[in-house]
Amino acid sequence: MLRFIGRRLALLPLVIVGVTALLFALLQFLSPEMRAALYVRDPRQLASLEAVIQKYHLRDPMPVQYWTWLKQLAHGDLGYSETAKMPVSDAIRAFFPATVELAVASFIPMMFFGIWLGTLSAVRKDKWADHISRFIAITGYSLPTFVLGLLLLMIFYGRLKMFPPGRYSLDVDLLVHSPAFHSYTGFLLLDSLMNLRLDVFWDVSKHLVLPALTLIYFEVALLLRITRSSMLEELGKDYVRTARAKGLRERLVVIKHARKNAMIPVVTLSSILFTTLLGGVVITETVFDYPGIGRWGVNAAQQLDIPGVLGSALLSAILFVFANMISDILYAFVDPRIRIQ
Amino acid sequence: MKLFRPVLCLSLAGLGARPAVAEVKNPDTYTYATISDADSVDPAWPYDVASHVLILNIYEPLFTYSGASIQKLLPLIAARVPSRANGLISADGRTYTIPIRKGVLFHDGTPMTPEDVRYSLMRFMLFDRDAGPSPLLLQPLLGYPTTRDDSGRLKPNAYKDAARAVEVRGNNVILRLPAPFSPLPTILAMWAPVVSKRWAIQNGDWDGTEATLPKFNNFKKESTPFFERANGTGPFMLERWDRKNKEAVLLRNDRYWRKPAALKRVIIRAVPEFGTRKLMLEAGDADNITADWDNLGQLQNLPGVEIIKDLSSIEENPVAFFTFHVNAAGNPYIGSGKLDGNGIPPDFFSDKDVRKGFAYAFDYQGYIQGTFRGHGTQGTGCIPKGLLGHNPGQKTYAYDLALAREHFKKAWGGRVWENGFEFSLLYNSGNTPRENFCQILKRQVESLNPKFKIDVRVVEWPTFLDGMDHSRLPIFILGWEADYPDPHDFAFPLMHSKGNYPVDQKYSNPEADRLVEAALAETNPEKRKALYYKLQALEFEDALHIVPIDRLMYRAQRTWVKGWTHNPIFPDSPWGAYYYPIHKSE
Repeated sequence: MLRFIGRRLALLPLVIVGVTALLFALLQFLSPEMRAALYVRDPRQLASLEAVIQKYHLRDPMPVQYWTWLKQLAHGDLGYSETAKMPVSDAIRAFFPATVELAVASFIPMMFFGIWLGTLSAVRKDKWADHISRFIAITGYSLPTFVLGLLLLMIFYGRLKMFPPGRYSLDVDLLVHSPAFHSYTGFLLLDSLMNLRLDVFWDVSKHLVLPALTLIYFEVALLLRITRSSMLEELGKDYVRTARAKGLRERLVVIKHARKNAMIPVVTLSSILFTTLLGGVVITETVFDYPGIGRWGVNAAQQLDIPGVLGSALLSAILFVFANMISDILYAFVDPRIRIQ
Repeated sequence: MKLFRPVLCLSLAGLGARPAVAEVKNPDTYTYATISDADSVDPAWPYDVASHVLILNIYEPLFTYSGASIQKLLPLIAARVPSRANGLISADGRTYTIPIRKGVLFHDGTPMTPEDVRYSLMRFMLFDRDAGPSPLLLQPLLGYPTTRDDSGRLKPNAYKDAARAVEVRGNNVILRLPAPFSPLPTILAMWAPVVSKRWAIQNGDWDGTEATLPKFNNFKKESTPFFERANGTGPFMLERWDRKNKEAVLLRNDRYWRKPAALKRVIIRAVPEFGTRKLMLEAGDADNITADWDNLGQLQNLPGVEIIKDLSSIEENPVAFFTFHVNAAGNPYIGSGKLDGNGIPPDFFSDKDVRKGFAYAFDYQGYIQGTFRGHGTQGTGCIPKGLLGHNPGQKTYAYDLALAREHFKKAWGGRVWENGFEFSLLYNSGNTPRENFCQILKRQVESLNPKFKIDVRVVEWPTFLDGMDHSRLPIFILGWEADYPDPHDFAFPLMHSKGNYPVDQKYSNPEADRLVEAALAETNPEKRKALYYKLQALEFEDALHIVPIDRLMYRAQRTWVKGWTHNPIFPDSPWGAYYYPIHKSE
């Protein structure tokens, strides 16, 4: 197992070089003037465009720019993100914990509901439960996230004043930035517990409800469909028929036998979903004014903030490698026939 | 299902419930939800309104505008506003004596001195980052717009020139200009607010000497302590600039030299999504928000929200600029590059009849009605309403397809009408007024002759900028906002051959240059006005651009917001504000 993990981690530098070199090469297709647009936003600044290009070395050949960046990286310096207005490493530290909190808050219920509804749908195929599950799946996947998000905001914030946007309310905002509150981890939910501030924990949790609900409703559809089809396939196999013939209880047949084997594609999908969530969910973060990494990454890409783009791409690459590794390990737990080589 | 039942019941109950009676929410905290956050709080850096609005609440310039007036100045850090009448401006208009107010404290409790004023003016000029605001003072005080030579090196005389231009004598700061520059006080009411020299040096910033200047000239934004920290004299202190949450929190300065502000805190927060901003306003979590005319319908009749309409603005936006000679090399926007019906020649717009044809073909009233809901009037030229020299009686191009046809028939010896043309018209994405302008122009011009074809394309800002900088765009649509409320701030960039836009347009008219320069040097307001009238008449005749609207703005705020005054020159106006006079009460 350790050798397997070591081998996967050894791939990481290769992935980093591959991803960043590709990004650098793609960015070279854009003219220096286009890349200078990051620094020249107002027509009043147009006269200084050439000076800006020189100042930021945007006319240097691609290998020179890439080598400079790699040298910086070797010193742990990821550069400065104009869009975040802070060094890239600080930006990752600032935005990533919020995204992790949202990802975890969405992922756990999403897995629960997705697998439960998928199983229910397969076991009660063509019955009411199946129809309702499929309805949830179709609407969840076809309803645009920003529409659902805004509707939820209108109802639960606009009308019911229950779940406001942002990461916390005004009082908590002032409190968490005061000397009375210590930031131990950057994860507000954890920090609030470590500070013994349940009011902060409650407030931050309240702000997670709507974005998490939006993500759950959207992503659960996919999980549900995959679980359902995988379950249907397993339920039709001989070993299930044998188990039933042996007189095992139906619940045991479904949960212990069929569902366990049906989980392999679900594990693959769930690792991808979790990586996607950790990479940030732009629309949800924008609609709910949630300061996550996705909004920053897209903003950086739109404005050609090269250090920002490279930083967020690096993070995604690392997450992807880890997610793949974890899903491979999970395969072995789900199906002992699979052995990690 | 059981799980959802209580939530569903709550939702339905909520939908039927009446909104709560508006009571002042967070009465001593003001929240402004806007689109973008600040770039830096260093007074020498920003050219964006989000930063500038913060800076003018934390720091104080020498003067400020009196209430809603853009002409009348009040002393702020200065003890008096200099004028010829009070003898503080010399007869030749080249020496300004500015007495400095006593008893003003910085936020850290240290007293502000005339030396701080001198340091601040020098720092603003000499830090001079590329594409920054320093030329606004460099030009009038030193006579040149940049401190660097063509190779990007600091000019050897820059420091000495600045030191000669700004001097402390007793309690006065003396400004010496190489030539009269009448708008100077209005610039000093907006830019170069006073920072603490002592605090700057303590925190590793410039020590004010020539020897260390090269390290700070054309500085990197994040390299100075002023980037994210502040120590001004203004009514609010920077409590926190939270770049993660894209919000700045200002805290009342209780040691302010005037009566402290009524508001204890001001929060300026970037919320890019309009729907979220609107809900925050509705819930009272925002006291005012940024909103375009497109959004007005959604904001009207919201309980507890008032809409203040028809607020003036000092800007020309959008303006369509004709490029007299585009760069043909590898230009994808001019089709075949010939007047053969499938493209345009590079100098297509050098023909005045082509330009006039376009100007007459534009449906001005339809545009104003459709895009701005009728809130505005057709622009009369380069000087916007409200500024000296604006000529309300200036002849303008009416929407007249017959006249447009006439000019197109004359253009290029009749070949335009005979062969037709095709080119691309670009606008930057997300800008509805510019998009509508392009679509209307396309529709009307194409209706004149089936051989006329305009390909309207939406592009991202970098692509637009690239096309513009390489002189590839036959028409480019941009705008100009006032740096200071003086007609020169519009006349030069829009009409002078060395101005920002004529350079890109390849437009040059010696008479226009002469009028711009003469108007700047003229100190008699009536004579200045006459010169600007002549300039606008020339602008009409040359038809070098289309100015479709003098636009009006509106502000959406909670009814409990009191004390706000609209001054169109204040950055981010009418949304951003000077928060000192504002309070919240029902």
